Parts: sequence; structure tokens; C-alpha cells
Amino acid sequence: MSGKALRLEGLTKRYGAVTAVDQLNLNIPPGIIFGLLGPNGAGKTTTLEMTEGLRRPDEGRVWLGEVDLIRHPAEAKRRFGVQLQTSAFFELLTVKETLELFQSLYSHPLRVGDLVGRMDLEEKRNARVDGLSGGQRQRLALAVALVNDPEVVFLDEPSAGLDPQARRNLWEVIVGLKAEGRTVVLTTHYMDEAEMLADRLAIMDHGRVLDEGAPRELIERHLPAAVIEVDRSTGIGTDTNLPALVRIEEREEVMALVTQHLEDTLTGLVAWASQHGRQLTGLKTRSATLEDVFLELTGRSLRE
Amino acid sequence: MKPVITLLRSLLRQTVRNRQGLFWTLFFPVVLMVVFSLLGNTKSQVSLAVVTSRSTSAGVVRIMEKSPLFHVRTMGRRAALAAVRSGRMDAALLVPAAPRARTTTLALRYNPANSLSAQQAVGAVQALVAQADLMLSGRPPLFRVRATPLVHARASTYLDFLLPGVLALMTMQNSLFGIGSGLTRWKEKGILRRFRVTPLQPLQFLGAAIMNYLLVGLASSAIIIGFATGLLHASVDIPLGPVTLVLLLGMGCFLAFGFIVAGVSRSQEATIPIINLISFPMMFLSGVFFPISSLPKILTHIVDYFPLTYVSGALRGLMSGQLTWHDAAFRGDLLGMAVWLVLGGAVAARVWRWE
Repeated sequence: MSGKALRLEGLTKRYGAVTAVDQLNLNIPPGIIFGLLGPNGAGKTTTLEMTEGLRRPDEGRVWLGEVDLIRHPAEAKRRFGVQLQTSAFFELLTVKETLELFQSLYSHPLRVGDLVGRMDLEEKRNARVDGLSGGQRQRLALAVALVNDPEVVFLDEPSAGLDPQARRNLWEVIVGLKAEGRTVVLTTHYMDEAEMLADRLAIMDHGRVLDEGAPRELIERHLPAAVIEVDRSTGIGTDTNLPALVRIEEREEVMALVTQHLEDTLTGLVAWASQHGRQLTGLKTRSATLEDVFLELTGRSLRE
Repeated sequence: MKPVITLLRSLLRQTVRNRQGLFWTLFFPVVLMVVFSLLGNTKSQVSLAVVTSRSTSAGVVRIMEKSPLFHVRTMGRRAALAAVRSGRMDAALLVPAAPRARTTTLALRYNPANSLSAQQAVGAVQALVAQADLMLSGRPPLFRVRATPLVHARASTYLDFLLPGVLALMTMQNSLFGIGSGLTRWKEKGILRRFRVTPLQPLQFLGAAIMNYLLVGLASSAIIIGFATGLLHASVDIPLGPVTLVLLLGMGCFLAFGFIVAGVSRSQEATIPIINLISFPMMFLSGVFFPISSLPKILTHIVDYFPLTYVSGALRGLMSGQLTWHDAAFRGDLLGMAVWLVLGGAVAARVWRWE
């Protein structure tokens, strides 16, 4: 793989009064797994579609190395491999026929044997698409995305609807793509997936990038220490004052105390409980996760 | 060109493997033709109950029995009349005892409820009796008719009339449903989107899809023609060039309409009522099942310009041997289809959306 950086400059897309993507800038170095993390409606898919050439941005440029892909969309189509959020293929064709059909669209395609081998579809080579399971369809969609030996692979919510085993297999495949020197750009709203796979992450909401960096970096930058959780029945309010506390959040069943210094806050909490005669039921401490970063940045949960 | 051919091959495979779709494409026309060929092939023999008395002149009855026109059964008077009333026999001929007067009156009783076979029966009996009269009297006839069949003429059955209509109907239904419904489905499921992130040009995709429908349309027309002529003994002309041209032009018109339907409707379910709205009036008015001339005059002024009218008119003219390349009427039909194709294509190009 030659390795060219992918740059999005000031990408903007408006639908009437709604700005779906707003002056978005991203610099994606070659050969990494780049994650776009955000809730539904954050503008991840629109961003991906403008980059892939499916949608024309109202403003902005997309560069692959020195090539302006908005001006030369054919280049994007030649060099990119795309897995759409809903990938449908002709139901009555076999896996092999489907791959052959997509091979015919490119000048230097990979061989069918390699593709089915890598995606573990050998047994299903002559099975019709309508007889494939969800996981097998997903692997076929990935195989089709790789047919043209692409430099950049776009995966839009690749693990949506997969069972845990299939997700793990998919992650292995994605890591394998990086090992071959390809750049992988994926969207997800699964924290663990983003944390596990992505070398770099951009957290998006309302069409903007809120922050960008390696997953650990983002956590450290926004949440230096930890989270203490106690049951709501404890009666602690969001306005309770404790040492080293960043803030207190009401989550579904628990109160989450986000802190910069775990020991100080914990000591304070114990003192508060004995002073007010309360039991600290369900007390639990953990280090901050991307979920907490996300809440910190957007004020809302990823699955909202 | 290679992508188009591979795509076309994929689409054809998809069509051939869709057993249910194929079945319904061919089932309706086949059933129509079988039903109408059973109903419409009027039987050529008149069933005649002959009531004789002991002293009847045997000559008349013998002549009746020999004639291929009649299926004769001799029976008693009461049984004969009952058979005519119930419709089991077309008519009863009451032959009296040996003639006393110079003219013997043969009474023919028929059931007027079944007017077609009644007319046939009365006419045939009158003709035969006149002939018998001459033969029995031994006089030389003043006139004689020599019947020679014409080479190109044939007894046109309803099936012969129906076949071109059914072909026209198939042309419309397959094209409208194929594009209107099939393409909307692909659009809805995201199959079209998937091709848009490949180097395949939109026009290449459309070209392959259109070729697919044209080939499938021609093949199913050939099957229906083969079925009608081979198994149901329809006797029609098939001037290959002109018939193919009319089928292609007709499919072109309705494919364009299909694109319009697929362009304006948001979901596959929404296409069905729109397609029905377009196809139902034409199915019943455009000369598929009965000639347009049987419609009220005012209506024909409109129906004459329906695209299906051009297709069914041209096909029927060609297949009944009444139209050739050189007829102005045939060229008029071609022109009508071409105008619809251009209009439909122009609108389709404006309203068609990939997403």
C-alpha cells in the first residue's frame, strides 16, 4: 500500500435549515484505523457518504494525497472500498457470482478465491445470498468492499446487528486490513468497539467534531481519574459538594460521581454518609471510559 | 462494455431463478388463452334430434346423417323437445309421415335462448334441406356453388383475436411491473446505492437493466406465441421483423412509464396502485379482449391514443395478415409508440432518482 493521507477540509452538508455536517475537518494518516464515534444523527454517515462520493458536499474538499476527490470522483471509486450501512445484493445470485459481478467493475480486482478465503466464506461460495445468515452477509459485504484491493476501506456501522462472536471475528478482520497497510475508516456507536479498534477517534455530534485523538488520550484529556457510582437511594444530590469532584450525574439507576482524584472524593463521600446517616449502597469505583468522555463532551448518552 | 454484460448476465440469472415471478409472468396469459380457446371455439357440428315416424321418407334423414355439419340422433318427439329445451341438442327436426301433398313441411324446433347455435342450426338445416330437395327430386340445379378455400383465409377464432392482445398486455405488465416495482425494490434495499460507490456508470446500470427486461419480454412473448400456436392451434401470421419491432417499441414505452413510477414513488408498496391506475384502463379499453370498435364512439377518440392501443392494434394487424410494413396504419402505430416512448423517456429522465 502506497499510503496517502485522507484529508477532509471544511466539509459541509445542509438539508434545508438543518446543517447535517458543519465545517468538518479531519486528517486521517495512512495505515491506521480511524473511528468516527457519535450518536445516531450526529452526521457520521453523511460525512462518510460525502467522502465516498455518494453525496456532494455543499462546501469543502476531500483529498487523498494530492488528489481532489470532489473534482475527481472516479479516483475515489477506484481506490476506495465501501461497506454501506445496509448492504443489499441481488438475492438470487450466489456468493461467487456476486463477487464476480463486482470484480467486472474494476481493472485489477482481487481473486474470488482469496476473498472468500479471507472472509471465511469458502463453504458458502455457491450459496445464494438469500440463504446467508446476517453474519455471512456482513462478511460478503466486506469481501465486496475489498474486491478492488482498496487503499482506504470505509465501514459504516460494521458490527450493527451482529452477535458477540461474529463481532469478534469482524474485529479480527478489521485489524487484518490495517496489518496489510490499508487505512480503515469506520463509524460506530459502540464504545468498546471504538476503544478496542481505533488508533484515532473523532467524537462527533450535531455535525461537528467535538474532539479527536487516540482513545486513551481522549479519556485522559477529559477525565483524568475515575468514576464512583452509588445507588440513587443513597439520596446524594447533583449539588452535593465533595473534594476533587468534577460533577455528579444522574444516570439510569445510579448516581455517577466523576472525580479528578479518587481517594479524596471517596474519603469525602464516606464522611458525608456518616454525617447524614446514609448507607452507601451499590458503591463501586471504576476508571473513566469513552462513554464518560462522550457524556462529558455532548451531554448525552451514545444510545439516546 | 464488460461491466454491462456481466451485470446483464447477473440480472438475467436473477430473473430466471425467480421461479415465482416467472410463473406469474406466464400463468395469467396462458390461463386466459386456454379458457377462451375452450369457450370461444364454437363447435362446428349442429346436434340435431331427428324425430321420424314409421313411414318417413328415409332420404332426408340419410342425407342429414351423411353431412359433416350435423350430429344426428334419432329420438322420440317428446325426448327431442326436452333435449332442445335443456340445451343438450341444438334443434329438433320433426319429419312427418310420407308426403301426401307436394310440399312436405319439416318442423324445426330450436331453443332461442342460445342464439348463436340456434342461428347456426336453422341455417344449416335450411341449406341442407334445399340441397336434399334438389337431389331427391332429380332435377338439375339452376345454380351451383363451388367452394374453394383461399390460401390465406382462415376461420378466425377468438383465440386468434386474443393472442395479439395478450402479447400487448404482457408487454405492458412486464415492463411496468419489472421496472416500476423491481427497480423500486432495488432502490429501497440499497442495491443501487452499492453500485454508486463503484466505477459503474449510472447509464451502464440502466442499459443493463433495460436490456434485461427487453430480453425477458421477447422470450416470454415467444413462449406464449409457441404455446398458443403449438398447443392451442391458434392460426396467426408471425412476421418476425415487424412483430419484434412492435414488441420492442411497446416495451420501450412501458419501461419509460415504469421509470416514471419508480421515480415518483417512495416505496415498493406505493408503486402497485400507481401501476394499476395506469394499466387497468388500458387493459380493458385498448383492444386486448374485445375490439375498440365495440366501445362508445366518444370513448374511442381517447382510447385510440393510448399506448397499449397502438401496440395491440399493430400486433393484431400483423398477426391477422391485415397489416404489413407498407401500410400507413402500421406506420401510424409505430409513430404513436415512438411519440409515447420519447415523451415517457423525457419525463422519466426528469423524475428518476437514484435514492
